[in-house]
Amino acid sequence: MENIQDTLKSERQQAWREELRKSMKAKERTSIDRVKMLEQEPHVRNRNHDEVNLGLSEEMAVKEAQRCLDCVEPTCITGCPVGINIPKFIKRIEQGEFLESAKVLKETNALPAVCGRVCPQEVQCEASCFYVQKLKKDPVAIGYLERFAADYERNSGNISIPEVEEKNGIKVAVIGSGPAGLAVAGDMIKWGYDVTVFEALHEIGGVLKYGIPEFRLPNEIVDVEIENLKQMGVEFRTNFIVGTTASVDELKEEGYEAFFVGSGAGLPKFMNVPGENFRRIFSSNEYLTRVNLMHAADPNYDTPVFSGKNVAVIGGGNTAMDSVRTSKRLGADRSMIIYRRSLEEMPARVEEVKHAQEEEVEFMNLNSPVQYFADENGNVNKVRVQKMKLGEPDSSGRRRPIPVEGSEYEVEVDTVVVAIGVSPNPLIPASMPELDITDWGTIKVDKDSMHSSVEGIFAGGDIVRGGATVILAMGDGRKAARGMHEYLKEKVGKK
Amino acid sequence: MDADLYAYITRYSNKFQGMNKIVEKEQLNDIVVKLVIDAPRIAKKRKAGHFVILKINDKGERIPLTIADADPEKGTITLVIQKVGVTSHKLFLMDKGDYIDDVVGPLGHATEISRVGTVLCAGGGVGIAPLLPIARAFKEAGNRVITVLAARNKDLIILEDEMRACSDEIIIMTDDGSYGKQGLVTHGMEEVLQREKVNLAVTIGPAIMMKFASLTTKKYNVPTIASLNTIMVDGTGMCGACRVTVDGKTKFVCVNGPEFDAHKIDYDEMIMRLGAYQEQERKDYGEFLQKLGN
Amino acid sequence: MADLTTKYLGLSLSNPLIIGSSGLTDSADNIIELEKAGAGAVVIKSLFEEQIMLEVDASLKEAYQNDMIYTAKSETLDYIDIHIRERTLSAYIELIKEVKKKVMIPVIASINCVSSAEWINFANQFEQAGADALELNIAILPSDEKTSAEKIEKVYFDIIEKVKSQVSIPVSIKMSSYFTNLALMIKKLSETGIEGIVMFNRFYTPDFDINNFSEKSSNTFSTPAEAGNIRRWIGIMSQKVDSQLAASTGIHSAEDLIKQLLAGAHAVQVVSTIYKNGKDQIQKMLGGLNMWMDENGYNTIEQFRGKMSQAESANPSAYERIQFMKYFSEIK
Repeated sequence: MENIQDTLKSERQQAWREELRKSMKAKERTSIDRVKMLEQEPHVRNRNHDEVNLGLSEEMAVKEAQRCLDCVEPTCITGCPVGINIPKFIKRIEQGEFLESAKVLKETNALPAVCGRVCPQEVQCEASCFYVQKLKKDPVAIGYLERFAADYERNSGNISIPEVEEKNGIKVAVIGSGPAGLAVAGDMIKWGYDVTVFEALHEIGGVLKYGIPEFRLPNEIVDVEIENLKQMGVEFRTNFIVGTTASVDELKEEGYEAFFVGSGAGLPKFMNVPGENFRRIFSSNEYLTRVNLMHAADPNYDTPVFSGKNVAVIGGGNTAMDSVRTSKRLGADRSMIIYRRSLEEMPARVEEVKHAQEEEVEFMNLNSPVQYFADENGNVNKVRVQKMKLGEPDSSGRRRPIPVEGSEYEVEVDTVVVAIGVSPNPLIPASMPELDITDWGTIKVDKDSMHSSVEGIFAGGDIVRGGATVILAMGDGRKAARGMHEYLKEKVGKK
Repeated sequence: MDADLYAYITRYSNKFQGMNKIVEKEQLNDIVVKLVIDAPRIAKKRKAGHFVILKINDKGERIPLTIADADPEKGTITLVIQKVGVTSHKLFLMDKGDYIDDVVGPLGHATEISRVGTVLCAGGGVGIAPLLPIARAFKEAGNRVITVLAARNKDLIILEDEMRACSDEIIIMTDDGSYGKQGLVTHGMEEVLQREKVNLAVTIGPAIMMKFASLTTKKYNVPTIASLNTIMVDGTGMCGACRVTVDGKTKFVCVNGPEFDAHKIDYDEMIMRLGAYQEQERKDYGEFLQKLGN
Repeated sequence: MADLTTKYLGLSLSNPLIIGSSGLTDSADNIIELEKAGAGAVVIKSLFEEQIMLEVDASLKEAYQNDMIYTAKSETLDYIDIHIRERTLSAYIELIKEVKKKVMIPVIASINCVSSAEWINFANQFEQAGADALELNIAILPSDEKTSAEKIEKVYFDIIEKVKSQVSIPVSIKMSSYFTNLALMIKKLSETGIEGIVMFNRFYTPDFDINNFSEKSSNTFSTPAEAGNIRRWIGIMSQKVDSQLAASTGIHSAEDLIKQLLAGAHAVQVVSTIYKNGKDQIQKMLGGLNMWMDENGYNTIEQFRGKMSQAESANPSAYERIQFMKYFSEIK
């Protein structure tokens, strides 16, 4: 850590940074209000799939960047799971050097356009911002600024492609093309390795494509990032399930020297409530995959989806928000969240909850489904819900929801989406019994190198963490890349 | 057929990878086609019971299809497809030389083959295709294989010669008596079960057929395997669309199956779930047929 | 040799000695040993809502200490109890299946029901797994002064209704004795059509140390003295209800067993005495029963079951005697 502190310090002392700091007094900076993101009107956007957030204009971005005080000790960086050099990229924006800002981001974050949109900044960088910590004011809108810089670069056509070192002829296999896998690929290709990413689905991007809806993260943006990787030389093989199409051993025979497992947490969970197998009751994975990946809402695409007028989504996380807001866009009259704890306790990103409320999603907090009913065709038509009250906190500090006896009542529904969390994908652990896994089904790895119990197999992202976030997956990917690099230097060096 | 229409059916997406070429096509009857597809990796790993998920082009659906046969040396897999809806009909119309955008596999668990004595194989309609490799495998393992094939009429009995070649005895049942004996698959099965001891039964076909085949073997306490074909989206255990209740527990056909203990399956629930998109599919198919000019 | 066969919950038992839900019945290996030792039937260790909560807490602690496993805002962690319940349920079902494969004696699955929602949904899965019968353990301590008696009683009936609508195997209920009119409650329970009633649930009583002012454990095991109350109520109710009654708590010896049968019980459940005295206690108790039956000229249990119950007793009011003094004065 010491060199990083020194680097930050010396960077801060560079002329351009000093100049910027001098150009405006601290008092002036702190008197600027936090920028308000331009958004589509709720009543317009809840019927289309276009991005809700429209982005900042250049002026807005520069003004917001001025708020940043370029602290001597930038606490914001400690809040970032991948340690982005936040003051530096923000100051580049203030300077008007937007392309330079994007370059700074790419030094530590392979997918800045993605993270700027989906990171829960309110509990990461922005929570550690000086404004929040010391001034008790709204933090610098670090997320919006990251998105601004990344979008600017993309739209300008001047996308900076990092330099690729001389090829060393060593083949590495990345299993899974979600954020963890893409992060590994991005680093390994830079260091001269031959990188092949194997993806089970027909599209690249994993949860970025099938899980996160267009109105939050357009697939087009993900594709730009993937294109960059292709340009750097990363090979992508879709429709390839490592473990069945070819085993790890077979790939070893084909010359792959190290593997990164980023197969994610895709196994859906149901509540095991009676009637849960009736028609039109989906796991959030199925519902979102049909709409986001298979474009089921578009009549030009063959895959159907059923999304009715009275949709209930069970759960309180981002996936539940994505599902319920999607249902609104697919024409629901009532889009309901049924969540067993209170509104404040919902784990979803604050912005998602706010947007959902604006879009007229109904929040039925302190409620839980106990039974589903269906018509003679087996289509769900009612859910029996029980009210909850909050009891003693469990060891996470969250109060335990306790059913209120006799409080059951019925709600008419024609579609239900169950979004209560996911489990790690069992394919790889099942095909490699020698791999150490936890009771949760996640792969055990060394915290620093991300090396698993099997030599040459590294892992990161949801397959190690259970359902986590995009940025954590990327952080794991970058750590794993470093771990793999060290491992391969030694392994190949010995040959 | 109109060139534009043909292009629409077989359109390559902009990620055309030059893979999964159709190298052979044979029409087995008015509604069933056999396609041999270039897929070397899948051909190498494939065992009886495995299936693939296939998507024709960028606008297409992902659908599961059992691998009827494979040639590891040639690097090809064989699929037998009955046209019942938009996607299967599109496949039916594709030609030798066309490419299929996405084929992934082998999926599911392979059939557990062992020497048990006498195996009764009961196949209904297009279910005969996935039954063939299983019957073959049991025969090769040294079992006595008795096969009952059933369909509505003579034209819908497929792969008879291939089935005959790997069975010690074959009984053919048609609803209308136009071929073999008149009756249902269960009649053919009863004939066998009543006269000799059967150690294992395998049944593949429409859900309702498997339900009654299973009830039949249950009477005689014959352990039975059913291979299920439910709605699927990803086919890799990610979405739960294919869930069925087996022995009171929820199982995913794509990763826990496709074969299960036939006597423990909740067929009624499965049949109910299979109809989930029936209305939509009928409408889409109707529109598609109109486009074809039928 | 007398014939010890008994019918309980419509199941044929080779004898009326059932090993109750406890650590003795928590694994297939243990249950196999109990069968070998002669038990007539077993109740598999209960599925506990509290246990799930403890596991949830332990999992959450682990998750928080290991910052690699699920983050604070994880949706899965938010619903972790459901994930764990599913796992626990799967394990329990596997246990039922395994036990049923390996033993011949009847196997009763046990569910601890705290509320009428959660576990009830899985009752039919236990049936599918092969359980011969179900025991619903409804253990409610009426310690909330805001909850009416009516509300507590309703919980019992709600649970029974929900479970009976799901399963076709026999259902029994293990109840507490904390009822204002216990006789009426037992009668009403029996009228639901429930096949068996186990009297009574034994509640753990917390104790504390007067020297270091901390909580300490106590009365882990029952004592024979506790069986008296059971016997009284079995005696009063056994001929008044259609449900079969099983006695539970404080039955430690052959004599205890015989007394409960005389009071009218169809079967007894034992736990503490096996812990204290080992599995051989089973044969000791059955041997004692056998000998007594021979000595008294009984060939089957039905010949004497309930002989000393209130309905058949020469002195029925003895069952309702509550004052010690009164008893003495009567004798004189």
